[in-house]
Amino acid sequence: MKIELNVNGKDYSIEIEEHLRLIDLLRDKLNLTGTKEGCGEGECGACTVIMDGRIVNSCLVMAFQAHKSKIITIEGVEDEDIKNAFIEEGAVQCGFCTPGMILAAKSLLDKNENPSEQDIREAISGNLCRCTGYNKIVSAIKKAAEIKRGGRNV
Amino acid sequence: MNLKACYRPLTLKEALDYLEEYKDKSKIIAGGTDLIIKLRKGNINPQVLIDISFINELKGVLEVGEYMEIGCGTTFYDLASCILLNERLKGLKDAARSVGSPQIRNRGTIGGNICNASPAADSVVPLLALDSILTLESKKGKRKIYLKDFFKDKGKTDIRDDEILTTIKFKTPTKNQGLGFYKLGLRKSLAISRISFSVFLEIDDINRIEIIRVASGSVGKFPMREYKIENYLTGRILDEDTLNTALEILEKDIYERLNGRNTARFKSIAAKGVFKKALLKALCLAKGGGKIED
Ligand SMILES: Cc1cc2nc3c(=O)[nH]c(=O)nc-3n(C[C@H](O)[C@H](O)[C@H](O)COP(=O)(O)OP(=O)(O)OC[C@H]3O[C@@H](n4cnc5c(N)ncnc54)[C@H](O)[C@@H]3O)c2cc1C
Ligand code: FES
Ligand code: FES
Repeated sequence: MKIELNVNGKDYSIEIEEHLRLIDLLRDKLNLTGTKEGCGEGECGACTVIMDGRIVNSCLVMAFQAHKSKIITIEGVEDEDIKNAFIEEGAVQCGFCTPGMILAAKSLLDKNENPSEQDIREAISGNLCRCTGYNKIVSAIKKAAEIKRGGRNV
Repeated sequence: MNLKACYRPLTLKEALDYLEEYKDKSKIIAGGTDLIIKLRKGNINPQVLIDISFINELKGVLEVGEYMEIGCGTTFYDLASCILLNERLKGLKDAARSVGSPQIRNRGTIGGNICNASPAADSVVPLLALDSILTLESKKGKRKIYLKDFFKDKGKTDIRDDEILTTIKFKTPTKNQGLGFYKLGLRKSLAISRISFSVFLEIDDINRIEIIRVASGSVGKFPMREYKIENYLTGRILDEDTLNTALEILEKDIYERLNGRNTARFKSIAAKGVFKKALLKALCLAKGGGKIED
């Protein structure tokens, strides 16, 4: 079957198999391999993408359900503030969770540039990280929020 | 997987046409957060998927007279942020907020939660306490059924294979009424600790319980009403002795229900604490304010 969708600002019209999930479409058909598959069951958040403005697990969306939707994957995140903050705060170790974390962070900061620590922890509660113990990720998101609000050195 | 076709109807009528045509060869998919896992594990093997997530008429909350009506396609996110649901219904919002993760709340729907019929379906518990009525529709017409009569066994409901659950409705709580919800344990915790309770309470000025409906999750084959404790508490003045007796009744009832399972002891004791929290939350709301910490 054929679907139309917009990924990272680019329009696609592609032939897909019925059983394909959104993550398969992104990785195997569009070669956007920044989106990772961990558990494949909605538990780890490594496959997180933004679909019509909200984060979803791309392992739990069928590709045909993404018809006419607007998807943002890690490849489409132009926001350097978040990426830099992750690097500066040491929030990236093995990096497997990072694309999903950054999309969860982006989705939060798009709505709220002044999140509390609790808001941040809530926003990334669907994303597992085996390496960092989360604190560095939380600091990175705090820092990105500060940068967005203007004070580079707060 | 043996999928041959997937449809994305834009209206309920169109969806019912597909369902009539394919019946047991098809499955409805809404948010997909339960269904896709089952598809991939091979627990189900439909030839056709009918996606109802594009049908706008099935989404959102409406106030109809003294009732609130929730469309089956309303997501947990939508429910948790709905301004129509007043403070007295805090228990329903708390339940929606307690589900999984932001990603799951953005996709998962209330209709999917009900039809999946898991013992741990969080939104079902407050909806039971509200004594909700479901509307099921097929090409042949509509029928209504109380949510409390909908579950037949673990994962089994009264729905036919040509029917769609379209709306869930309940009476909007008014003065002296409140709905509380409490769930044990944090997200991502083990299945055993997902016990939840919801209490709908109407209480008068001297703390006499006019109406009480209690519902539980994860202490039976499906979410259910706790009639024994309801019967005991109705008409009584809520004080310490009454509460203690009620807790004993609840513990005994749940222990007997789960008898033989190795979780029976733990769950029946834990349930008391969870019920009590839900009751206190309902009490606070019924009295018109105050906040109870989790
Ligand atoms: C990681 C993870 C965490 C989760 N955490 C929780 C949690 O904390 N609490 C909780 O309660 N649940 C939880 N769930 C389960 C799930 O998200 C919910 O049950 C959700 O409400 C299912 O809704 P859906 O729209 O995704 O349903 P789907 O997966 O689309 O459908 C579920 C079932 O219902 C049927 N169905 C759906 N809509 C209708 C309808 N309108 N009429 C008739 N049949 C219908 C489908 O055919 C299917 O059999 C979790 C799931 C995952 C993967
Ligand atoms: S791969 Fe999708 S949530 Fe883990
Ligand atoms: S950095 Fe390794 S999983 Fe998060």
